[in-house]
Amino acid sequence: MKKVNCLLFFSVMICLASVLKVSAAIQQQGKPPTEETADIILNPAPQRKNAIFKNNETVSYKLQIHNNTKDHQNGRISYLVTTDEGEKVAADTVHLALHGKASKEIDIKVPSTPTGFYRINFMVNTANYDDTVRRVFGVSPENINSTLHRPADFDAFWKQSKIDLEKVKPQYKVLERPELSTKDKKVYTVEMRSYGNILIRGWLVIPRDGKKFPVHYRMPGYVVSLKPNMGSDDFISFDLNVRGNGNSKDVIDIGTDNYCLVNIEDKNKYIYRGVYMDCIRGLDFLYSHANLGIDTSKIIAEGGSQGGALALITTALDSRVKVLTMQVPLYADIHDDMKVSASYEKQVFPFNIFRLYNAQHPGFTWDKFFQTFDYYDPQNFAPMIKCPVLMGIGLLDRYCPPRCSMALFNHIGSTDKEFVCVPNTAHEVNLNYFMFQNLWLREKFRIP
Amino acid sequence: MKRTIVTALCLLIFIALIFPVKTFAGFPIGKYRDIVVPSFSYYTQTDRYDINGNIVKGQPGARFSSYSTSLFFGYGITRRLDFIVNVPFVYQVNNLGKGNTVTSQGLGDLVAGLSYNLVNFNYKQYLSVQASGVIPLYSSNNGTSSLGLGDYGSEIKLMYCGSLLGKGYFNTELAYRRYFDLQGPNQFSYLLTMGYAVSKHNQISVDLYLFRSFSEDKAFNSNIYAERDYAFFKPQLNFGHQFTRRFSTFIGGYYVPYGINTGVGYGGSLIAVIKL
Repeated sequence: MKKVNCLLFFSVMICLASVLKVSAAIQQQGKPPTEETADIILNPAPQRKNAIFKNNETVSYKLQIHNNTKDHQNGRISYLVTTDEGEKVAADTVHLALHGKASKEIDIKVPSTPTGFYRINFMVNTANYDDTVRRVFGVSPENINSTLHRPADFDAFWKQSKIDLEKVKPQYKVLERPELSTKDKKVYTVEMRSYGNILIRGWLVIPRDGKKFPVHYRMPGYVVSLKPNMGSDDFISFDLNVRGNGNSKDVIDIGTDNYCLVNIEDKNKYIYRGVYMDCIRGLDFLYSHANLGIDTSKIIAEGGSQGGALALITTALDSRVKVLTMQVPLYADIHDDMKVSASYEKQVFPFNIFRLYNAQHPGFTWDKFFQTFDYYDPQNFAPMIKCPVLMGIGLLDRYCPPRCSMALFNHIGSTDKEFVCVPNTAHEVNLNYFMFQNLWLREKFRIP
Repeated sequence: MKRTIVTALCLLIFIALIFPVKTFAGFPIGKYRDIVVPSFSYYTQTDRYDINGNIVKGQPGARFSSYSTSLFFGYGITRRLDFIVNVPFVYQVNNLGKGNTVTSQGLGDLVAGLSYNLVNFNYKQYLSVQASGVIPLYSSNNGTSSLGLGDYGSEIKLMYCGSLLGKGYFNTELAYRRYFDLQGPNQFSYLLTMGYAVSKHNQISVDLYLFRSFSEDKAFNSNIYAERDYAFFKPQLNFGHQFTRRFSTFIGGYYVPYGINTGVGYGGSLIAVIKL
């Protein structure tokens, strides 16, 4: 009997040890990278793992400080909290005294702040060393409000756009690509005519193991070339390269510096009118090719950055999309994006491009910019969304500021919507988000 | 007397074998989703282990066999919380030798409860806890029945499972079960399953199962339900085939190479997994 008891005991110990080991390893992975060359390493950890706090809740961080040198360090540790516009909200400084190779941890508590996102910079200053670690936290972002700048003829504009698209014969072509196919999946190049009779192409990847599949319809980032998505066994993957992206550059082939400026002074001819209609044409393609095993009742629109905006707009304009997932949606709440970006010490996309164009074209006022862009701001489409939505954002994102993404999110018409904040990423989310997204999609479509 | 001892020992090990660990394990079922697992198990023995772990030969011609089916149902209430229930039906044949055979059949112990995912490690490993109750679905005569202990009970189980590098997965379960009787028993078990996908639709797995039942009554008793202190180690080899995303089957075989007050048993199981 003792043998069994011993076996049971050691088995339990092995089990617990493996749990602790994996847990520790994952926690280690979760730590932000530190520079081994830094004299003093700052590692701030928000009390809330996703750095999202509630109204009236004290925002607190644990700041780990490690002296990476052998010398005693004397100096200051400071933090500065500012709004998205750069206005100071809170600040404090404490004395730092740290022996060589020693570490310490200090608690930082920021007085409760109103709804919004805040930049918090942690700074270390000694006689020989200065460093700043930048982070962002949010306070009840689900309460962020923003103004919709929706033109009065917004609906009519897009209704007419769809009518114009319908007049273009798609002339679909589906070409199997054996050289790209595998024993598990068939790869096709598909092409079609879209708005303005522009030729666009995409990639269709169909698992061989099954007869009917939900469709993962992915739209591209800003002048990004989508390739066949071979990663999914349970979905048909349809990756559409809108005009000027990837293998859809026959007519429009423009670099990243000018793509978003094409005909920006004319709302009727702005490049995104055709781009948005390309995405609708992609849906037309899926619906007209159910014979390929496409389950047209289960179409997911997905994308990141520009692709996120395109996925949202496609879902808004066409109820054939049943589920929407997007990450860091570009151009969201473009009015506020402009205000937030004004506070950056160095301009980043997209307003570096818009501001440069504005500076070089004196007649192109910001009013004129918005007269066009208000027809294209994803936020203005958000109330039209009625299906389940998942959105992921990176809190350090300056291309798509979290405040703008959340403003868009809060305008989404669906009540079945969730967002995920990744605290230490910029214009991207992380693997953990995509793991969750995969489960989320399966939940929505009851996929085993 | 011999018949009753053998019946009790077989029943005890049988109860421990019926849970479809390969199908549910510690993985959350998923919100709003259902899993249905009908299964069939076969167990037989002729010999038994005594209190010292020595094999005692059975009477010539004597054999105990159990054929059972069970129906497991799981429902994902939320992303973390699942409801589970398992109902077994048992048919036993006890050949006592010399042409004497005793059979019994009926519903066994219903197990129903809730499973909660405590934490997931990047959606790769899951640590869950399960609390369930045991309800005998058979009538007992003066607290005795050939279909179970005849007592209500409860169980708490800690489960840790997840994927391994490549195409592997693992599941571990540590359980404590208590029957609401003055003499228990208190039962502890530990299961380790390691599986590997040998192809897209086929997998093999190994279960290592340790079981220990404690009771203050350690004396041998001719009353079959007084025998409550026993232990065994059971390795099992399984093969799984996925027909579709919603339908898979597992077939497995096992042997009990070590035990205390239990049968030198072997057998197999056939399990269907239906995901709705």
